[in-house]
Amino acid sequence: MTSFLLPLAQITEHAVETVAAHGEAPSALTQITENFGISVPLILAQVVSFSIVAFVLWRFAFKPVLATLDERQHKIADGLKYAEEMKAKLEAAQQQTAAQLKSAQVEASKIIEEARKAAKDLADREAAAATERANGLITKAQQAIQLEHQKMLADARTEIARLVVATTERVLAKRLTDADRASYNETATRELTSV
Amino acid sequence: MAAIPAKIRVYAKQLVELSLVDGCVSAERVAGVLASLEKNPPLKFTLVLQAYRKLIATEIAKGEARVEHAGPVGADALAAIAASLGKRYGRPVTTVSSSNPALLAGLRVRIGDDIYESSVASQLGALAAAS
Repeated sequence: MTSFLLPLAQITEHAVETVAAHGEAPSALTQITENFGISVPLILAQVVSFSIVAFVLWRFAFKPVLATLDERQHKIADGLKYAEEMKAKLEAAQQQTAAQLKSAQVEASKIIEEARKAAKDLADREAAAATERANGLITKAQQAIQLEHQKMLADARTEIARLVVATTERVLAKRLTDADRASYNETATRELTSV
Repeated sequence: MAAIPAKIRVYAKQLVELSLVDGCVSAERVAGVLASLEKNPPLKFTLVLQAYRKLIATEIAKGEARVEHAGPVGADALAAIAASLGKRYGRPVTTVSSSNPALLAGLRVRIGDDIYESSVASQLGALAAAS
């Protein structure tokens, strides 16, 4: 590149010298440049060189780096966005889980309460049925005992009466005299003839 | 024993009515009826004779009172019983007495299918049955 710029600078210097050789009076700009040691061709060459270097740097260095940075920035932004979304989804999932857990707890409590109530009702019904059965058995047993008692009393009464009658018959058979029987027969005769 | 048909019973009853004189069985009438039956035997003669005999026995029993007693019974008592029964049944009734110590004291009169009893045994039996 230097080889390309050097002829250009030499051409520019040659032009200035040509102007000076023709004897024209140097202008104020020329004087300023001479006083400050500024060489226009060099400046132009430097500008061109800088432009070329800047272009090359921008084209082959900065642009890929910037593209890479943009890509990374995009990736980071996407990652952050994805993280935010995941965070939001996680929060939503946590909230949903918490809501489901709470709902499940409420449902479980309800089911437990219903089961407890059903168990209590069943136990109460069973206890009532058992009490009723027991009362029925007691009543039947009492009735059976009463019937047995009445039957025993009736049997005893019948047996006592039979014994009394048998004893009375034996006693009367031994004790009644013919006079007693004759008297009774007269009474029986009157009774039979009066019918 | 086979049951006697109703027609034969009715016929035998008519024969028995022919055999009565003043409500009592007359031996002459019975002999006449039997002679008539012998001379003109009806259908099922044996069954007719069986029914006739049964009804005559019943009629005779209606005129005979069997008096069971425990202890002595006077003849006047038996006569009073016969008179009372004759009045009740509307025919002459005779009495046949027999001793039955099981009565303990009192009387049991059986006439036909009817029984009248007034005895200590019957009262004790009633007492036992009531208890």
